[in-house]
Amino acid sequence: MNLLQIAGQGSWGLFFGRFHPLLVHLPIGMLMIAFILEGLSKVKRLAFLSAAVLPVMIFGALSAVLSCIAGYLLSLSGGYEDDALALHQWLGIGVAVIAVLLCVLHRMAVLKKLWFPLSGVMIVLLSAAGHYGGSLTHGDDYLTAALPGRQLPKTASITSIPDAKVYDDMVQPILEQKCYGCHNAQKLKGGLRLDGMEHIRKGGENGPVLKDSLPEASELYKRLILPENDDNRMPPKGKPQLTPQQVEILYWWIEQGASTTAKVKELQKSPRIQLVLEAMQPSGTGDHPFIPETTPGPVDDQAREALEAIGVKVMPVAAGSNYVMINCVNASGFSNKDADLLLPLKSQIVWLKLTGTQVGDSALQVLAKLPQLTRLHLEYTAVTDAGLPVLADCKQLRYLSLVGTKVSDKGVLALQRNKALRELFIYKTAVPATAISQLQQALPETRIDTGGYTMPVLATDTTVYKKEG
Amino acid sequence: MSEKIIQEANERAAKYFSRRHFLHNCMTGLGATALGSLLGGCNLFSGESGEEGMPQSLNPLEPRAPHFPARARSVIYLHMAGAPSQLELFDYKPDLQKLHNQLCPPSILEGKRFAFIRGVPKMLGPQAVFAQHGESRAWVSDHLPHFAKVADDVSFLKAVHTDQFNHGPAQLFMHTGSARLGRPSIGSWVTYGLGSENSNLPGFVVLTSGGKTPDAGKSVWGSGFLPSVYQGVQCRSKGDPVLYITDPEGMDRDMRYQSIQAINEVNKQEYETFKDPEILSRISQYELAYKMQISVPGVMDISNEPAYIHELYGTQPGQESFANNCLLARKLVEKGVRFVQLFDWGWDAHGTNEDTSIEYGLRNKCREIDKAMTALLMDLKQRGLLDETLVVWGGEFGRTPMQENRDGKEMPYMGRDHHAEAFTMWMAGAGVRRGGSWGETDEIGFSAVKGKTSVHDIHATILQQLGFDHEKFTYQFQGRPFRLTDVEGRVINEILG
Repeated sequence: MNLLQIAGQGSWGLFFGRFHPLLVHLPIGMLMIAFILEGLSKVKRLAFLSAAVLPVMIFGALSAVLSCIAGYLLSLSGGYEDDALALHQWLGIGVAVIAVLLCVLHRMAVLKKLWFPLSGVMIVLLSAAGHYGGSLTHGDDYLTAALPGRQLPKTASITSIPDAKVYDDMVQPILEQKCYGCHNAQKLKGGLRLDGMEHIRKGGENGPVLKDSLPEASELYKRLILPENDDNRMPPKGKPQLTPQQVEILYWWIEQGASTTAKVKELQKSPRIQLVLEAMQPSGTGDHPFIPETTPGPVDDQAREALEAIGVKVMPVAAGSNYVMINCVNASGFSNKDADLLLPLKSQIVWLKLTGTQVGDSALQVLAKLPQLTRLHLEYTAVTDAGLPVLADCKQLRYLSLVGTKVSDKGVLALQRNKALRELFIYKTAVPATAISQLQQALPETRIDTGGYTMPVLATDTTVYKKEG
Repeated sequence: MSEKIIQEANERAAKYFSRRHFLHNCMTGLGATALGSLLGGCNLFSGESGEEGMPQSLNPLEPRAPHFPARARSVIYLHMAGAPSQLELFDYKPDLQKLHNQLCPPSILEGKRFAFIRGVPKMLGPQAVFAQHGESRAWVSDHLPHFAKVADDVSFLKAVHTDQFNHGPAQLFMHTGSARLGRPSIGSWVTYGLGSENSNLPGFVVLTSGGKTPDAGKSVWGSGFLPSVYQGVQCRSKGDPVLYITDPEGMDRDMRYQSIQAINEVNKQEYETFKDPEILSRISQYELAYKMQISVPGVMDISNEPAYIHELYGTQPGQESFANNCLLARKLVEKGVRFVQLFDWGWDAHGTNEDTSIEYGLRNKCREIDKAMTALLMDLKQRGLLDETLVVWGGEFGRTPMQENRDGKEMPYMGRDHHAEAFTMWMAGAGVRRGGSWGETDEIGFSAVKGKTSVHDIHATILQQLGFDHEKFTYQFQGRPFRLTDVEGRVINEILG
């Protein structure tokens, strides 16, 4: 930092400096309105407006100068990134200088022609200074991050708590959410950056903020639990505070040595953190065995409507997911020729229920082209042995039900090549026991359910218990 | 006659397009359009409010996606109304046997209230022979010899507790998350959140057996403050499954269709005017009723099931029985019904007479359900349905380790009083751990010592398996969002995965 730092101590200079964010809005408004009035006064009917330009301009210039002074005093408190600060500072001074010049030159006939363009330049500088000022306060991606289509930073979605990395998946998102605002590359309040482990280790102007394994001795934790009115409390009064759970996580992380690589399961857990972790356990989002890990593009609306027109229900597997499940429970007439309608959704279909429809072997040729298919219901359809071999190409297929179909040993054995298969239902089919054991050997992890369960006849099935006599 | 109805409907419809209506609609319409475009960018109702499940379309039963991919697509909830004795079925307490007939230690009774027990009762040892079954070594008594064979397919919750010890409030609590009237039942929440996949059948069907409906009445499948379209549809397992399902004399199906269309047309205009969701309920119920005339007799008729299925379940078509209801539940789930609620009445074993005695009545009730619920699990399993159907079994509370002494007198039969502190439930299918068990009670089975779970936890777990985060699944009512689990509930991860 090349600027004098007066952190820690209050002073009249700093006090006045803090009026900068208030004052800057005066020149912005006034200079803008002077420019607009000047522009409007060029219209004959509104020529009388020109009389107002100079007074407004004078007040604008005055407030611009005051803003510059306040801004300089504020910058002395430090904590801002040098480059952005310098840019903002000189742009602001430029605005003030031009504004003063414009006041002086307003009545000079020679410069009458130049006055309006020059004020235009001032407006450009004013906008730029305002923008950089905003970036200094809120961070340089504050504006662009909110563009439509941009992903707003959100708390990382953790799929499995035990495998989550404590620093990357839990600590950093908390710091990002609640601390980065003031402790980042542009705005180093207290000389401290928290956006990266090397910066955290470096500490701030009052020394290190982290003592490994000693949360009570680490500023990074201590300041979180100070009374809200304490000047050293972090985040300061009025800013979004950490939740008790977040404080608990930071405590636990420091207590366990502030590692950047450790996973939740590798660290010791107190009953308190156990409760916090349990509450964080996501509601089973990521680890669903029937949802591939990749994310496809959105479903083509026309293709969906074509299916829905014949009564087929196309549903996202979850709100916001592009994967779909397809159910033909209301479309019992769904047949081989309709199967082609599924193709435009081939990268989105994960679950497909064709139970009791008219589909047969030729539809299976189409299904084999659905690379993401994990669950397939073909119960009570006309599929036969001839069609099944192509299903081995569904590399993700985990669940297949062939209940009540005409398949037998030949068709089912063709599924041997499908190593992803975990559940196969062949109740009420003609698959002989020998083929099942052969298939089971080839696919040891697959649960093959042949059904036909029965219960023994017991004497107690019919015994009515009654008091004797 | 019906021509007259249609003509009336048309006249009514015409009234909606009078000059006055036109001008009125122009004004409000323009204003609303302007406001709508102004607010277009603001997602006023998205995000924090958590009402992601809000029905968007005109059909309130349109299928909708849950918060995250679900493990369960359907739920079959087997409720043993009256509360079965966990101490004769699953919670084996040899120490209680040793205390049999001794006076209950006063330390246990201190500060406790019971529904009927007064003074100091005697302890009642388990009146069943217990053995461990399957690879999971689960304790199941000889009252359920068939079910014992499939114990590896289920996960037991052995320390469920409730805060109600009377049937009505406890049943309401178990099914609506509140012991007082007015909250929607689990099935209503589920159909509200997910809609109904099969457009010809209701999303939430209720079947009762045992001769009586639950003590809490039909509110246990009511929709509470949700639109009434989400309430359970009670079907009868004997006679016409739904009353008045056949066309009345002199009215053919085509005419019925036309009149329903005409009525719905008027109702839709009424909805456009008032936006009352109850009108949508009415429309969709008329439409559904019409479709059910065709679909219901087919699904609800078990007589054309093959003989081996009847043998498996122990069903006899034409009777009202738990077995018939189990088979119906499987058929309904197969057709995409979301939530099938079975109530079997007659488990209130106080020992006041032979039918409510632990020695006789309870055993007879067990015989009635043993084969049927075992068959249900087997049948779901062999059809690949257990994978996506969550089966829940339980009563509204448990029963005391003490012998009931109603009015301080000795009872003619062995009986147990209502017990809210610890009882057993089980779940199976749809991602529930096979052969799991969670929770333990003390040596006499009085209170939970480990893995205590609440009714809210059960609800949270059911919603979880259906793809809902129970904390975000809310409905705005009377100025605040409501949840099935209120402000409690923890997903019982110990029996999942």
